[in-house]
Amino acid sequence: MHGRGDTSGSDLTEPLPRGYRIGGWEVTEPIASGGWATVYAGRPAEPAEESAKESAKDPAEESAEVALKILPTSGLAPRQARKVAETARREVELDRRAGHPRLIRLLDSVVISDPDRASLDGAIVLVMERAERSLRDLFDAGVAEADVARLFAEICEGLAHLHGSGWVHGDLKPENILLMADGALKLSDFGLATELTGTDGTHGYAPPMGTLDYLPPERWQAPLGEHGVEIRPSADIWALGIMVHEVFASGASPFPGATPVARGAAVQEYADGRAPLRIDGAVPPFWRALAIDCLAPTHADRAAHSAESLLARITARPTPPRPVRRLRGTRAALVTVAVCAVAATVWSHAVGDPSGSRDEPAGRLTVFNADDNCQSRTDRSPQCSLGLAIDPLLPYTIDNVVPMRVWHGDVLAVDCRLAQGVPIIDESDASSTEWYRVRLPAGSSRSSAWLPAVRTADHPRVPDCPRPEPVR
Amino acid sequence: MSGIVVHLPQAGGDGTGAPGGASVTLRLGPGEVARFGRGSATIPVELRLDDEAISRLAGEIRVTDDHWQLSNHSATQSYLVENPEGAGEYLRVPPRRAGAPIPFEFSRVVLPTRRGTTVAFQVFAPDHVYLDPDGMAGQWGNRTVMAYSLDETALYFLVLVALCEPRLRDESPVAVPTTPQIVERLRGHAACGRLRARAVSSHIDYLAEEKMRISAPPEHGSGGARRNGKREALVGTALRFGLVREEHLALLPPRAAAGIRARETGR
Repeated sequence: MHGRGDTSGSDLTEPLPRGYRIGGWEVTEPIASGGWATVYAGRPAEPAEESAKESAKDPAEESAEVALKILPTSGLAPRQARKVAETARREVELDRRAGHPRLIRLLDSVVISDPDRASLDGAIVLVMERAERSLRDLFDAGVAEADVARLFAEICEGLAHLHGSGWVHGDLKPENILLMADGALKLSDFGLATELTGTDGTHGYAPPMGTLDYLPPERWQAPLGEHGVEIRPSADIWALGIMVHEVFASGASPFPGATPVARGAAVQEYADGRAPLRIDGAVPPFWRALAIDCLAPTHADRAAHSAESLLARITARPTPPRPVRRLRGTRAALVTVAVCAVAATVWSHAVGDPSGSRDEPAGRLTVFNADDNCQSRTDRSPQCSLGLAIDPLLPYTIDNVVPMRVWHGDVLAVDCRLAQGVPIIDESDASSTEWYRVRLPAGSSRSSAWLPAVRTADHPRVPDCPRPEPVR
Repeated sequence: MSGIVVHLPQAGGDGTGAPGGASVTLRLGPGEVARFGRGSATIPVELRLDDEAISRLAGEIRVTDDHWQLSNHSATQSYLVENPEGAGEYLRVPPRRAGAPIPFEFSRVVLPTRRGTTVAFQVFAPDHVYLDPDGMAGQWGNRTVMAYSLDETALYFLVLVALCEPRLRDESPVAVPTTPQIVERLRGHAACGRLRARAVSSHIDYLAEEKMRISAPPEHGSGGARRNGKREALVGTALRFGLVREEHLALLPPRAAAGIRARETGR
């Protein structure tokens, strides 16, 4: 990824032997290797006779295990070597200017001088606190909901500090969030971290790199300037939303697709208003509302949700009334879920940004299916699909619906509300004459259609619709 | 990932393009569809191909992932999708084939007419994703990657390398080659024998607008000569982010020793 060029015959992958000295540190074992760095476990080296005791170290640090992140520069053209140095510089700079208990601490940085190992000569080594595992390892193992709140509160603490200090992480993902042996969580990998610039410090310029599954929609179309691509704190908030979904949905992204590229295309469709956001049914209501806010389609919408405000919400979140998971499948539990969903979603809209540009829908709503057998299904089965009317003043029949179907949990863009349409009675005998005009994906035969208000538990604050003209 | 660009050229002397019409350019995002055909009041099409041999609704294009699919609605005619850079490489999409995936970044969709001529339009798919060069293919899903990728075998990449060459060789920190200089430089390349100045310019536009989406950030855009701004920004960005590297110089034809340089400096 960092233009290593022709690596044939190179010995970059040859592991370092145990005990290999790097400055005041020695290698113990390899941890991981990626495209631009290899990470080893290490520890402070026994002071060698000739250089004994030139520096008095903190005794706690003396015994601590460290991680040695090695960024090789040999074999690289000068330009690429400069880029590696730039990566290291970002990490060092960030640590110096924005150190915090929730950010992995940089203990030392060393340049290897070892003419006998051509592949390592000149490599930059960042010496960091040693973590036990990453959030990805934890996601793979499964996380209880109670722990999710603590983990995400700690991520938000780190992010709030980072953003407050004028930096964007730029590559937030479970692999880059580490858990220490004592359970503390720390953000790491600041190779793409960017300091906010501009007159009002709202954005910075980052190298055009990232992890496809965590890139916000605007990044897919971002222009590339000589300083890189524009990046704002809301990019980290998007990544946070993806992770909230992943932790509850067995690691799955909310965006469908078999490959990161397909999921990236789905992100674009969603952001352009051509596809709804489909949150997995396994995400509990509070977290669902949080994820929806983090995954607001534009930077402007997301800007309403800072790491700080998300942290406050997580801290103040109502404790789930009952251990919902154990009751899955029973009617009582589903009712509880539905009630929570109402509360959480309404709240999320109350705190959302009420202003909206012309292209922005006036509001969003989540489709609600009163049939509780359908609420628990996520397979989008035809029996659980709901229709959208073409004309809310005509009988709601098979001739008066658009081809597109919607399902419980889909989030739709709403333009306005019609108070007096054809009355609709749903499966639970709820009745209403209210309808919402919702947007349809581009490419549909119509740009909008009508959802009966009984098909949502939300009450988006949207303007009243002009009385629709008869369609036929 | 901004989708694809469909371009129907103005009717030209070569019998291709939209007979009688002006040129049409459509930009489609992921999931979007464009229909093509002769069209009518009841069968609207986004891309009107006005030839009596072409059905009212001849087919449709749908953007999916980083590529696009072609559906052939004709019951009798096959359509050809040519790769103009592929030395004759093409796909045949048989009648009634639904959603045939098209792997080319550049395509020319060719529909037959009765007169033995053809009607054609172009489709560009600039979002094709390439793996990073460090060869960690197996598990790229969660990896940090360069979000802009270039096809290093494409003609536009040769043009980009030629643009960057003086700076890569540290010959001239300032000068970016002109279009005629690039035509001259690439003349010896097997694929560029017939490369014209106009083609070089359109490759540069394609790189700047579709591949790298070059922009000068507003607060840094002050002053400077704007005439060569696009080329300079391309070169600056490509070098700064390692999109073009020293090893790519090998793609260029060998330099005619002192010959070309002498002529350049002799002017």
